[in-house]
Amino acid sequence: MATSNIVATKEGFAEIKTAKLSTLGFFMALPPVLVIILFVGLPIFVAFTFSIGYTGGPNRVISIIGQDIFKKDSWWGTASAYTTVFKDPRFIPDLVVTLVVTFLSTFIVLFMAMGMGLYQRIKGGRVASILSMLSLVPLFVPVVIAAYAIAQFYNGVGFMRTFMSQFGIEFPVITATRNAIVIGTVWTSLPFAILMITSGLQSVPNALIETAQDAGASFMRIVRTILIPLAFVPIVIAGTFTAIGIMGSFTVPLFLGPNQPTMLGVEISNFFTAYNRPQQSIVMAFVIFAAASGIAVLYIWANVRSARQSGRI
Amino acid sequence: MATRENNLNLQSGSLLIRILIGVFVAFMGLFILGPLVWLGLQAFTTSWTFPSWKPNGWTLIWWQRVFETPSMVEAIRNSFITAPIVVLVSAVICLPAAYAAARYNYIGRRVFLIGMFAANSFPKLGLFASIATLFYTLNLMGTMVGVIIIQLLGTIIYMTWIPAAAFAAVPKNLEEAARDAGASKFRVFRGITLRMAAPGILVAMVMSFISAFDEAQGTYLVGAPQIFTMPTEMYSLVLTYPVQIAAVFSILLAVPSVVLIGLARKQIIGGQLAEGFQIR
Repeated sequence: MATSNIVATKEGFAEIKTAKLSTLGFFMALPPVLVIILFVGLPIFVAFTFSIGYTGGPNRVISIIGQDIFKKDSWWGTASAYTTVFKDPRFIPDLVVTLVVTFLSTFIVLFMAMGMGLYQRIKGGRVASILSMLSLVPLFVPVVIAAYAIAQFYNGVGFMRTFMSQFGIEFPVITATRNAIVIGTVWTSLPFAILMITSGLQSVPNALIETAQDAGASFMRIVRTILIPLAFVPIVIAGTFTAIGIMGSFTVPLFLGPNQPTMLGVEISNFFTAYNRPQQSIVMAFVIFAAASGIAVLYIWANVRSARQSGRI
Repeated sequence: MATRENNLNLQSGSLLIRILIGVFVAFMGLFILGPLVWLGLQAFTTSWTFPSWKPNGWTLIWWQRVFETPSMVEAIRNSFITAPIVVLVSAVICLPAAYAAARYNYIGRRVFLIGMFAANSFPKLGLFASIATLFYTLNLMGTMVGVIIIQLLGTIIYMTWIPAAAFAAVPKNLEEAARDAGASKFRVFRGITLRMAAPGILVAMVMSFISAFDEAQGTYLVGAPQIFTMPTEMYSLVLTYPVQIAAVFSILLAVPSVVLIGLARKQIIGGQLAEGFQIR
């Protein structure tokens, strides 16, 4: 059923791509694109002008409300907001925590997802399906609950300490540390990576693997030379999407992380509302965008590849 | 079905490997389910003194407390107002585009479809802060409309790509046969195209509802302190109320996801969800 559906989908799309151009189709397709332009493209452009000191036009209201706003002092604007942020003693440690957590968590998520995906692909069976069911649970739990539940689980009076104390073991309090953020982000990011990678590995034809096996290839060699290259695009999508998600996360570091240094998502929110320094908040947002830009390009590239493979574009 | 045929028996499991796998499954069970079960238990306890392995007593009083607190009731109400509106608006905006992507060729088709990924390729909180800057000027900060727009952004990919695949899977010759038999264009669309694409549209709607209902970070930045939904109420709740109240609220917050996933389980396990995620 599922496979015949995919084939039908593919044929349906293939037919359309060569059809003659339709004006009706264009106007039907326009609304979501307009929403993206209006509420993603435009705000990011306007916010960038705000960060370099353009305080008029669409930035007028926020410039009146916010504190410590730098106005442009040359023909192109000003870098004062950026230098102020970089000179803030909190900023560099925050940036380091953000990058370290992103790297660590993405690595752990990919490693676990690859492990479980490969196990399901090669071995299958009941244990594999129990594992995949388990790892999909976080998909349906709101991130606020997840972060709070994890905080309660590992805190001073949490389950881990309660359980271990029955055996006289003093389990450490993990909450309010960087490691707790990693635990939380791994928990929340796991399902998407597993869905992506498992479906990528499942689409590798059996015949290829069997042939390599008959030719005497070892398990690791099959993984390295057949499974990973053929499932490369889904693996890249899983990794990039996970990394982008973690970089912009707020709830998990808020509930699980230390007060200082924390991830930039929390700091962006603090500067925007609590400290009422929106310009510096936006500067941090653009530092994050810059740090994520390479990953974002890779993410879009992989999605375009995947859409082309499935015949959509 | 399909997965079973796909299995290869490359390794014959030795005892050691089987034990290791067993340990790993147990670890995953504790890692994933542990926090949820632990929090769930708290909702029914009077109090819990630390090293004790069981609570001091069981009670349902916290459930009553939640429904007696006006701010929490209002958050519940807000959530059930915004999320359905988001799903409806998203469907109106995106479903024609999904149909167009599956049935028409038009200028910029490829750019349009790839453009949908733009919302996902920015780290979320940076994007929300940028949007909030503009919302001050548009007078949308702290308003229902602002919250709805923020939540809408997360649903667009689901609402275009999943139904697009569903529409494309409807065989064209079936539609043509119905047309030849004398059915009107509208009737063919309603009776055949829409009906056959319905499971895909349903999954898209379920995913959109959950995405809107669970959205916390942007809703908080744009809505607070005027508008609180259930997830954003949690932010203030965990600071000011006992853990049991937060536990009750968490269970309430998880109910819609669990119910909807339960209802759409057949389609989701049948591959529509994986199909949808593949293109997210």
